[in-house]
Amino acid sequence: MPVYSLIIINKAGGLIYQREFQPGLLKLSTNDYLVLAGTFHGIHAITRSITPKIPNLSTPSTSTTPNPSSSSTPSHHASASTATSTILSPSSTSTPGGGGSQTPTAATPSPHPSSSSSWSYPNPSVPVSGLETLETEKFRLTCFQTLTGTKFLLFTDPAMPNVEGVMRSVYELYADYVMKNPFYQLEMPVRCEGFDRGLGGFLRGRA
Amino acid sequence: MTVYSFYIFDRHAECIYKRRWLPRPASITSKSSQPVSDTPTVANGLTSVSGPSTRSQEDDAKLIFGTVFSLRNMVRKLGGEDDNFITYRTSQYKLHYYETPTNIKFVMLTDTKSPNMRVALQQIYINLYVEYVVKNPLSPVEHPGGVGVNNELFEQSLEQFVVRSY
Repeated sequence: MPVYSLIIINKAGGLIYQREFQPGLLKLSTNDYLVLAGTFHGIHAITRSITPKIPNLSTPSTSTTPNPSSSSTPSHHASASTATSTILSPSSTSTPGGGGSQTPTAATPSPHPSSSSSWSYPNPSVPVSGLETLETEKFRLTCFQTLTGTKFLLFTDPAMPNVEGVMRSVYELYADYVMKNPFYQLEMPVRCEGFDRGLGGFLRGRA
Repeated sequence: MTVYSFYIFDRHAECIYKRRWLPRPASITSKSSQPVSDTPTVANGLTSVSGPSTRSQEDDAKLIFGTVFSLRNMVRKLGGEDDNFITYRTSQYKLHYYETPTNIKFVMLTDTKSPNMRVALQQIYINLYVEYVVKNPLSPVEHPGGVGVNNELFEQSLEQFVVRSY
């Protein structure tokens, strides 16, 4: 159950660490890895902002959409579109910040007091995140974002169990050998021998 | 398991069909209940939804297309040309992706607990899209603005497929 490679992206989207542990993925040039890091950084933000927003169904006045007739015939565009706009307006008006950083529970005040406004995320108990795992036919990508915005990307075999635990150990190694290194400059590429050695010992042993 | 929305993109990167489902209220979850679908329609030609919104549904579709397109390219770069991006998950939702050999892309957003929906998307393509859109003699070859995809038979059977199975 191999770990193919590890990529670390700083909070600005720059690649600061890339290392391959097992063959399995195609080799890219350094430039391509830089592009990949930047692209992933952008996609990560977008996947967070396209989180579906669920209109709250607790207010029966607005949520019971005015289509008592059959719902799938495309014949009543007028009523449907009005229903859509009333439902969608809270979500659309609450996003001009664009950062997607607002919490769903903060019930952003709506300019339409009539449609007592609110939407919530599908899992309100969990903070909104960007892409966490991605699966393809050949590998699985697990992304872990630290509180400070650094992203750890672990490429593993799709069948590998307990990637979370591996990720946690990688993060611990990073904290021990990179963040505690007095010569490491924040946000700059990681060139710490101890980190390399620790990772090699830990991840190669799991092949 | 809940299905939030469903999109079809053609090979010109245009969204030719999109549909959103609201979660049913927990009290009436009987399978026979009328599904609460907020946009029964959705042909792209309808621009009446705009209102004061900063990001309309069309923009959402574009963002979703951009995301799956970039991820697909990224995956192909790393896994090789024959690798395929299947699904990704965030803490809030899961996106499933299926691409036909003719580059039609099917995207479905569901809740995080859903199983792999690749087979379901494939079935939608084979049993619904091919049957009711491709084999429809009145349907154009390309579907600019969703023309030909938004026929009643396709919409109804999609509705049934999603509501019945999930």
